[in-house]
Amino acid sequence: MGQIMQLFVSGLSTGVVYGLIAMGMVLIFRAVGVMNFAQGEFLMFGGYLCYTFNQLLGWNIMISLILASVGMGVVGVLFMRAAYWPLRKAQARAIIVSAMGASMVFKEGSRLIWGSIPVKVDRVLEAPVKLAGGGIIQGQYLAIMIVAAILMLFVYLLLEKTFVGHVMQATAQDQYMASMVGVPVIFSIAMTFALSAMITGIGGGLLAPLFFLNNTMGATAGAKAFAAIVIGGFGSVQGAVLGGLIVGLVEVFGGAYISTTYQLVLIYIVLIIVLMVRPQGIFSSKIQEKA
Amino acid sequence: MKHYINEKEPVLTLHNVVKRFGGVTAADHVSFELYGGEVFGLIGPNGSGKTTLINLITGIYSADEGNIMLGGKKVTKLSTHTRSKLGIIRSFQHPRLLGRCDIETNILVGVDLAVRRRLPQARDYQERMNILLETAGLSGVNLKDSTERLSYGQQKMLEIVRAMLSYPKVLLLDEPAAGLNRSEMNYIRALISMATNEGIAVLLIEHAMDLVMEVCNRITVLNFGKQITTGLPSEVQENTAVIEAYLGGGGQLAANQ
Amino acid sequence: MKNKKKSSIIVLLTALAVFALAPLGMGNYMLRVLNVALITYLCVLSVYVLLGMCGQNSFAQAGLWGVGAYMAANLVLRAGFPPVIALFAATAGTALFAFVLGFAFFRLRQYYFTFASVGLMTILNGLFMNWEPVTGGALGMQNIPKFSVFGIMLESEKANFYFILIICVLTFVVMRILFYSSIGRSFMAIRDNEIAANCMGVNSLLTKSIAFGISGALCGIAGALYAFLSGYLSYQTFTYQQSTMYLIMIMLGGTISPVGAIIGTMIISLLQEFVRPLANYMQLIYGAGIMILMVVQPEGILGGGKALYETLHKRKRTGPDAA
Repeated sequence: MGQIMQLFVSGLSTGVVYGLIAMGMVLIFRAVGVMNFAQGEFLMFGGYLCYTFNQLLGWNIMISLILASVGMGVVGVLFMRAAYWPLRKAQARAIIVSAMGASMVFKEGSRLIWGSIPVKVDRVLEAPVKLAGGGIIQGQYLAIMIVAAILMLFVYLLLEKTFVGHVMQATAQDQYMASMVGVPVIFSIAMTFALSAMITGIGGGLLAPLFFLNNTMGATAGAKAFAAIVIGGFGSVQGAVLGGLIVGLVEVFGGAYISTTYQLVLIYIVLIIVLMVRPQGIFSSKIQEKA
Repeated sequence: MKHYINEKEPVLTLHNVVKRFGGVTAADHVSFELYGGEVFGLIGPNGSGKTTLINLITGIYSADEGNIMLGGKKVTKLSTHTRSKLGIIRSFQHPRLLGRCDIETNILVGVDLAVRRRLPQARDYQERMNILLETAGLSGVNLKDSTERLSYGQQKMLEIVRAMLSYPKVLLLDEPAAGLNRSEMNYIRALISMATNEGIAVLLIEHAMDLVMEVCNRITVLNFGKQITTGLPSEVQENTAVIEAYLGGGGQLAANQ
Repeated sequence: MKNKKKSSIIVLLTALAVFALAPLGMGNYMLRVLNVALITYLCVLSVYVLLGMCGQNSFAQAGLWGVGAYMAANLVLRAGFPPVIALFAATAGTALFAFVLGFAFFRLRQYYFTFASVGLMTILNGLFMNWEPVTGGALGMQNIPKFSVFGIMLESEKANFYFILIICVLTFVVMRILFYSSIGRSFMAIRDNEIAANCMGVNSLLTKSIAFGISGALCGIAGALYAFLSGYLSYQTFTYQQSTMYLIMIMLGGTISPVGAIIGTMIISLLQEFVRPLANYMQLIYGAGIMILMVVQPEGILGGGKALYETLHKRKRTGPDAA
């Protein structure tokens, strides 16, 4: 029983980070109609920024996380400006390939900056935490879940309750109309990319203590986020979170009971089953795709 | 004025066709018959459900109730591509051409369909193609050019040429004259005339009343998905319900004749 | 127009001449690079058929390449079939595999198919890495003999080069035939306007599956040729990253024609060899380069060439309204 609890907790906490990445992807998709093939690299890069502040400069992990997220906000805006904005009127294919190019730049750039040896980052909560039911879980898992919950609440409040959020949502739904009513579209889209990069980047800093940072982790992270989005419901933010949790749980339980080598395969078998049985995912949502 | 051709068997029959989208009934128990060689007009205010009907006939939407029959054969449950292989062909309100292919390839898609339909005359398409291009006013066109070099009107006519190359049994024209100038409209008249001479049943959705009154044998009027009336053009023109539907009460429906 | 067919033939003959004379100056190492580049070209051609002609984006092509490779290797090593049979069987087998999967995957709208292809790629790579009895697992397969036909074994790199070159030329010709055929037009109709295609008798599900099947055939040939050429197979070759390279190659060359596939493949495959000192930065340069390319010329080199040609030879407009 204890082992299942442990697996459950670790699955939930990695799952919630996948949910953050997936949420980041959905935010961008809703804003510009194209899947971001470089989202996984946001995770990786955010993790490395956190490493820079925390390990190379020796600062406190919480401060490092905050600084890393600010840094990722800037990165998100730069990414939007370089990879998306010049192509905003082009075919989706061109944008996808451009994002793939950007992900290569991120990957190689981080290799050249930080080297290819995997590195670690401090935990937010070092000590194991005692649960009410008498069980013990790793502190980091609890920290991840708390931080992620805070972030999701933050995103929700931002989008639903603030003026800036409303502007972002309006632009996401209809860029043309938004520009007609005076919304600075490029600003709004930049905000969306920044937000997406920030929450994903923090996820990188949170996962880093558990899994080691290396420059190739972006690909699998992105792949898992894709799966999360499709399973949870393409285009829906709640779907992204739920999908992330499901992916995390499948990964952990699949790894424990079936095989660790087939983990990603298992996730994708679930993905394909979902695509066959209910392609719109769990929470379906009407969105405009770029043709 | 065209003669009303009374064939024994209708080519296309709609019987009590219903289509709902959420709370809106876009097609409300619509019934009519199309005969070969006639032009059947489908008119009504914007949003009355005209394009929905074409989408239902071609299978892009599936009917919630009712039946659609081609000759005696029920096509209500068939897929779009199957229906087109049976001879139900349409044009679109905004031309749907293959933007990255040249004009000839676009035309050949029509020929391909004729071949797929196993029509014996399909392979010798050159002559028919030339006649159609001339009728549509496109005979000077360089077939290897991209479709983007054509004017809007020419693109619409190319669509009809493509449709005609597949020897349709039923030709559904969705506002062919929209966006065309007066001289281009002559080509539309010529193409419609060619179709009826070949015994094709033509369904014409149009807003240009002079064209409708001139070429249609019979007309049905739609409003909010319901048929208000069906009959000869002269009858429809004087029908008060129709006038009200268009003008919201009062005034005369003045056709430019 | 006669000009287009003429220029196609001129390109083909020139390329042929260049390629046929190439081995004269090259050592075995460069020839191997060239051979692998030609095999890669076949996979990029599969992307041309699926994406360039039919408009469907797949990330599973390297996986299909692997299917062909492992099939051919197994048929020769474990079932004892002659390489010629293995080549045909791998081609047909991969084609059938893709065709059948197509019926499941293409029920989904465009984006979903792309995701499903990512899933397929992941699953295939996982299988290659773990399914020991068939693929040798993490250790892969070794000692695959070189290709032989009618008792003649293609031992040298040069002999393999001519063989692979002939196959590439044949597939190029087949692509041209496909382009001018009614099934080819059906692909392009789906790419440019699927609804209009459906209304003109094109069965989306069947046609897309056929496109996937043809792409599978091309990857199957490529896989078999690779198995014979290299002699050993490892799961690390058949990856998602490799699939993305194919996409980048065809976008670089231009998705509008199989010539684009050649151009993109050759530039990237050979570039790696000629910029050795920059090897450490190569991926970075590709990444930045591809971003710039998409902004400047998303139609790739061919698109850029075509645009240049059209501005130099200003064509007369057709019709009365020259907008």
